[in-house]
Parts: sequence; structure tokens; C-alpha cells
Amino acid sequence: MRHRSSIVVALCLLLIAAVQPVQAAKDGPDPIVVKDPHYGEVLFYFYQEDYFPAIVRLLAAQDQSRLDEHLDQAELLLGGLFLSYGHHLEAAKIFERLLADNVDTEIRDRTWFFLAKIWLQRGYIDESQKALSSLSDNLPENLWREAQMLQSQLYINSGQYDRAIALLQEWKGKTEWASYAKFNLGVALVRSGHVDAAALILDELGDLNPFNDELTSLRDKANLALGYSLLQDGQPLAAKEPLQRVRLEGPFSNKALLGVGWADAEVENYRRALVPWMELRGRDLLDSAVQESMLAIPYALAKLDSISQAADHYLNAIEAFYEEINRIDHTIGFIESGEIFEEFLADDPLDSTGWYWRLEELPEGPEARYLYHLLATHEFQEGLKNYRDLYYLHDNLDQWQESVGVYANMLETRLQAYNERLPRVEAALARADLDGMVDRKLEFDSLLNDIEQSNDWLALATKREFEMWGEIAGLENTPALVANIPEADEVSDKILLLKGVLQWRLERDFKDRLWRIRRDVRKTGEALVETQRSRRQIDDTMRNEPLRFEDLSSRVYGLGPRLDGMKLRVGETLAEQRSFLQSIAVGELQAQKQRLDIYTVQARFALAAIYDLAATVGEAGE
Amino acid sequence: MSKRLLISLVVSMLLALNVPSIAQETAPMDAAAAEAESRGEFRSLDEDVQDLKKQVLDLNRDLFLLEEELLFPANSQVAFFISMDVGEYFELDSVNLKIDGKEVANYLYTEREAGALVRGGVHRVHMANLKTGDHELIAVFTGTGPHVRDYRRGATVTFNKGIGAKYMELEITDRVKKQQPEFEIKEWE
Repeated sequence: MRHRSSIVVALCLLLIAAVQPVQAAKDGPDPIVVKDPHYGEVLFYFYQEDYFPAIVRLLAAQDQSRLDEHLDQAELLLGGLFLSYGHHLEAAKIFERLLADNVDTEIRDRTWFFLAKIWLQRGYIDESQKALSSLSDNLPENLWREAQMLQSQLYINSGQYDRAIALLQEWKGKTEWASYAKFNLGVALVRSGHVDAAALILDELGDLNPFNDELTSLRDKANLALGYSLLQDGQPLAAKEPLQRVRLEGPFSNKALLGVGWADAEVENYRRALVPWMELRGRDLLDSAVQESMLAIPYALAKLDSISQAADHYLNAIEAFYEEINRIDHTIGFIESGEIFEEFLADDPLDSTGWYWRLEELPEGPEARYLYHLLATHEFQEGLKNYRDLYYLHDNLDQWQESVGVYANMLETRLQAYNERLPRVEAALARADLDGMVDRKLEFDSLLNDIEQSNDWLALATKREFEMWGEIAGLENTPALVANIPEADEVSDKILLLKGVLQWRLERDFKDRLWRIRRDVRKTGEALVETQRSRRQIDDTMRNEPLRFEDLSSRVYGLGPRLDGMKLRVGETLAEQRSFLQSIAVGELQAQKQRLDIYTVQARFALAAIYDLAATVGEAGE
Repeated sequence: MSKRLLISLVVSMLLALNVPSIAQETAPMDAAAAEAESRGEFRSLDEDVQDLKKQVLDLNRDLFLLEEELLFPANSQVAFFISMDVGEYFELDSVNLKIDGKEVANYLYTEREAGALVRGGVHRVHMANLKTGDHELIAVFTGTGPHVRDYRRGATVTFNKGIGAKYMELEITDRVKKQQPEFEIKEWE
């Protein structure tokens, strides 16, 4: 059968799925023929992105040698399926083995690229670097750029700023990737202490004319980074311009407003500083910039000698921080109860598996606002993927446990039925004397041969004809016929006539009758051969069935404990994974709480200082 | 309260901000050790999950084969597969199968499944245990045909079941000359 399936196309689809929507395989290499239905069946699940069932079917088909026509393709497909399923270590084993062979170089580079990406996301830094180092120059342009970006990220993360800078400075063009590269270059320059050089890069980026949301966000980020770098470098006036370029409603606006305030405060223009800080007052207290502004405002007011107002603001801040800490404590309790992870999966049908899955929305609830930024972190997302995959595995094992229980019952029922039927079948077989029947058939053949050779037409007479022949013979021997009277002669003539007619008819029909009888005997012989074959099958079945029952029983009963053990391990790992996710989330909340604690202490300290000052002023007045 | 203290807190935010925008946010420098520990813990757990995935997949393979052998022994097994070649003139909605006059399968395809067929997937729509000898298969395909019209077509075949597993292919192809779909049932080549 012809199908537009090509393993190269399939793999390309697999390996670009994370980058762009799956596209029809129109421009790929020549189609191949699906020669094994089981291979086509794997593709059926693969094209639906149901990677788990696709892998199971592929493994089963390989085990049964059902993919003889697609051996190499199947192995490559399995690697791709493993990769898509997030089973990256097994995928790498296959690819490392296969990619050494004569595999399309583009496939090879795509594979290394995606392995590098998965490994970086999952914290397999050395492996990721090794995969990137294996790339040749056969990646499509967009993937090649992303690979360069991954490489620069690896350099930055490992503190190799000079290498990152060298790599990023070579970046040419004005694409979206070029903007990201520029930003990363700025980051690497800042971290390596080249603030002035970084400022030029970030300033250029912060002034770009964005054509989409991502670039707008990148521009804000660059302006924010530049503004704070300048602030830190003691250039508050220069810092204001980039900070004021940040959108007022974007995700970085709070920090920008805070920074603008600090730039003014640095030059002791506290009145101007209050403007952006007051704007922050009504915003979400979850943001550290908003929290900090609650201390910055009274700080500026105190500088402006509005001591009473400053005290009020400090009191408000202490109260707000206290309430926020209580809410965080409540959220920590909720996370530690584990319910939140059940809610994550409650609306998730688990009908798709794989590395491409991401949790985009948190379950509704007061806790969600504290956890949204966690979704942006690879560690949490990848951990959640693992948690979800483990949940799927647990579910899968649950279903198999039920099925295996049913199979055990089914097997026992079959065995019982077999044992009940066996004596009856044996008795029936004993009654049926097949060998005797064959002997009789052979005797019959021999008899027919004799009849044919001796032209014994009477032997093929019907019962009625034979009786008639006997009656005629009896009449011939009647004593009265030998009496010398005319009537006797007349009767003898009639008897002779009858005998002659009968003989003539028997001789006439002899060949026809012989042919019919031989045909019937031949059919009987064929039926006997068929019966003998069936008998051999029955004998085989009777001999093999107990062995088959034994084999199936040992597999069914052997798989039961294997299932139980596996389910236990999955359950334990699920709990560990949940605990890990809890520790990330709780750790994050504890950090927020700690920051609020510090702010509270600072507010109390400042308040005490104000009260002391007021008391001192009062005493001096008296 | 000193201005510097507040600025120092802001700087910590700055460090968290200075990251490649396409990549994971990097923690502040003073948290590097904690991050490394967390990464180590993640990796250790991830390796456990990888190992479990492998073992559960192997177990699923064994269970899948056991189920097949138990429910459909090779001697009596007949599998019916649906495939599509091109699929320009027909969008498949459902397939109905009758073996020896008895309805055995009535499968309704989702859009995702039909798409997978068009792209070259082969769906095992039914498995049966049949005695050796001749059997009649009737397949009725329902869907949308040329000019977006409801389309219902049947195909019949008599096939002989011998000893050993048998695979039948129900193939939907395009007859370009007539601009019509064609439905064929044949033994898998």
C-alpha cells in the first residue's frame, strides 16, 4: 500500500513540533510504502501525538519481529518517539547508536539540537553542551539561531562570559533572534563588569521599534536592565531615560516605576520620587517593587519632613506586610497539603503525553497569584511534567491491574472448561476408528479394481437389481421349466429375455457406475485426509494446550507482582516528585515571606526612629 | 533606614532580571549553591522518572502482547486495518464491519484520528477470532465525499482463514480520473 509516510518527514515533524505547529508533510523526501500494518499502526498513534501507546505498539511489534520491512526506520522513529515523550535518556541511547550510521545530516543535527534543548531545560548541563558540540551546519536557519542562543546561555550560566560575548558579538542581521542575542550580550557584558559597553548595547535595544509582544517585552527588559545598571553605577540621571521607556502597564512597569523613583531620590529630589512610588501604591502587593515602594514612600516623606505622614505610611506598610505574610502562610499550608497538585491535574485529561506539554493556567484560587511566576521556570515546569507523566503511569498501571485480574479469571475459566471437555473429546476420538476407516477405504479401492478388471457388472448392481437378478436365477432353476410342455418353453424364453434385458442394462451402466463410485470413494478419501489433519491438530492442541495454559498462567501471575511492585515505585516517586515541587513552591514563598519580614523590621526600625525623633523634638520644644 | 539597603534589595532583582529572555531565569549569585543543590535533586529525580518510564513501557509491551495472545491466539486471529491513501475525495466519519452477517465493529473517527489516517497512519479497527475456512466481510464507510456531500459506500469480500494470524486491509484510495473515492478490501500484502 502507498502512503505519504516518510520516516524523514515524520522525524522532521517530531523534531519541529516544539518550534512551530505541525505542518503537512508536503515538501519532504519521496514517500515510502508502509509494508507492515503494525508500523502503520504505530504511525496512527504517533500522528495523533499519543506517544505512549505509539511506543508500546512499536516495542511490541519489534519484540514479535513484525517490522521486518521497516527495521531501521522503526528504530529511528522509536528514538523520536522517546524524545517527544520526554524519555530523553533512552532517546539519546538510540540516537547515539543510529546517528553514527548513515543518517540524514539534517535529522542528525535536529536531533542533537532538541536533545541539547531538553537537557538544558532539565539541568543536564554537560550533556547539553556535548549535544551542542555535536552539531554540524545542517540545521535550518531558525533552529541554528536558537542553538547559538542555547550555547550562549550555557556559557553565561557557567560564568564563561568572554566566550558568550565572543559568540554573541558575531551575531548578524536584524531578526527577532538578533534582538535576543543583543540582550544576552548585554547581560554577559554586565556580568563580566563591562557596564559601559553593555549600556550601549542595551540602550540600542531599549530604543528599538518592536513589531510583536515578545520584542516589546524584550525592549522593556533591556531598558530595565540598563536603568538599574546605571543606578548601580551611580548614574541616576542617566538611568531615568531607559526606565521611563518601559511601558506603564507591562510586566516590568512596577520595577521601572520604583527605579525612576530611586533615580530622583538619589539626587535628593524626593518630591519627584514620590510620583512614581505613589503610582505603585495601588498595585499588587505581591510584586517586590510594590512592597519596596511602601517603604520608599515614607522614606521620601521623612526626607521632606512630613514625619506624621511618614509614620502613617510605615504603619500601613507594617499592617499590609503582616496580612500578606498571613496569606503566604495560608498558601504554604495549602501547598504542603498537596491538594494543589491534584487540582493541577484535575482538569487535565492526560490524553496526551510528552515533552511539549506545558501547564499554562493555574487552578483558580487565592493561592494562584503566588505561583504564577513559577510557571515560567523550567525547573517547575519540567518537574510538573514529570509529575504528570508519573500520574499517567500510575493510571496506566491501575488499568492494567484490573485487566490482569480479569485475565487471570478468564484463564482459570478456560482451563476449567478445557479440563471438563477433555474426557468427552478423548472418548469421542477413541470411538472414531480413523485407521480402520482408512483400511476400509483402501480395501474398497482394491475391490473396485478387481471389479473393473473382471468387468463384474453385477457387483455394481443396485439392491433392487440384485434381488431381481436373484429372482430370475431362482426362476431359471424352477423344476417345472424342464417339463416338456409348450408353456414351459414359453416361460423359459420370457425368463431369458428378462435376464438379458437386466444384464444388458447392468453392462451398459457399468462404467458410469464405476466412475461415480470411484468419485465418491475419492471424496471419502479426501475427507479422511482432512479428518486425519484435524485429528493431528487436535492431538497437537491436546499436547500443547496444557503448556500454553502454563505459559500464559506464569505470565499472568508473574506480571501481577511486577505490576504491584512497579505501581509502588511509581507511587513513591510520585510522592518524591510532589515533595520536590512543594519544596520549590514553598521555598519561593518562604523567600517572599523572608523579604516581607525584612521590610517589616525595616519599617518598625524606621518608625521607632521617627518616634524617637518626634520625642526628641517634643522634649526640645518643652 | 538607609537608601543603600533598599537599593541593595533592588539590585538583587536586577540580577534576577539579567537573563537571556528565552531562557530560564537564573537565580541571584548568592543563591547559586542552593540552585545547584536543587538542580542535583531535580536531576536525581528525573533519572528515577526516566528509569521508571523505561520499566513501565517494557511492562506495557509485555502486557500488550499477553493480552493479544490471550484474547486473540495466533491460530484464530484476524485483524482488520483501515488505511487511507491521499484522501482528497473522502473524509472518513465511521466504518461499520460485518463478518458473516454479524456486526462486529462500528467505529466513529475523531477529527484527530481521521487526520492521522490521511497522513499515513493505519488503524487496527477490529480484532476477531475466526475458524479456518471461508468468511464474508462487509465494510460500510460513511463520511463526506466529493462536493461536501454525505457519502456512504460498502465493500464486500470473501476471504479464507487458514492457520495463523491474518491481516485484512480496508483501504480508501482516490480514483483521480473519476474524482471519486474508492474502497477496497484486501489481504495485507
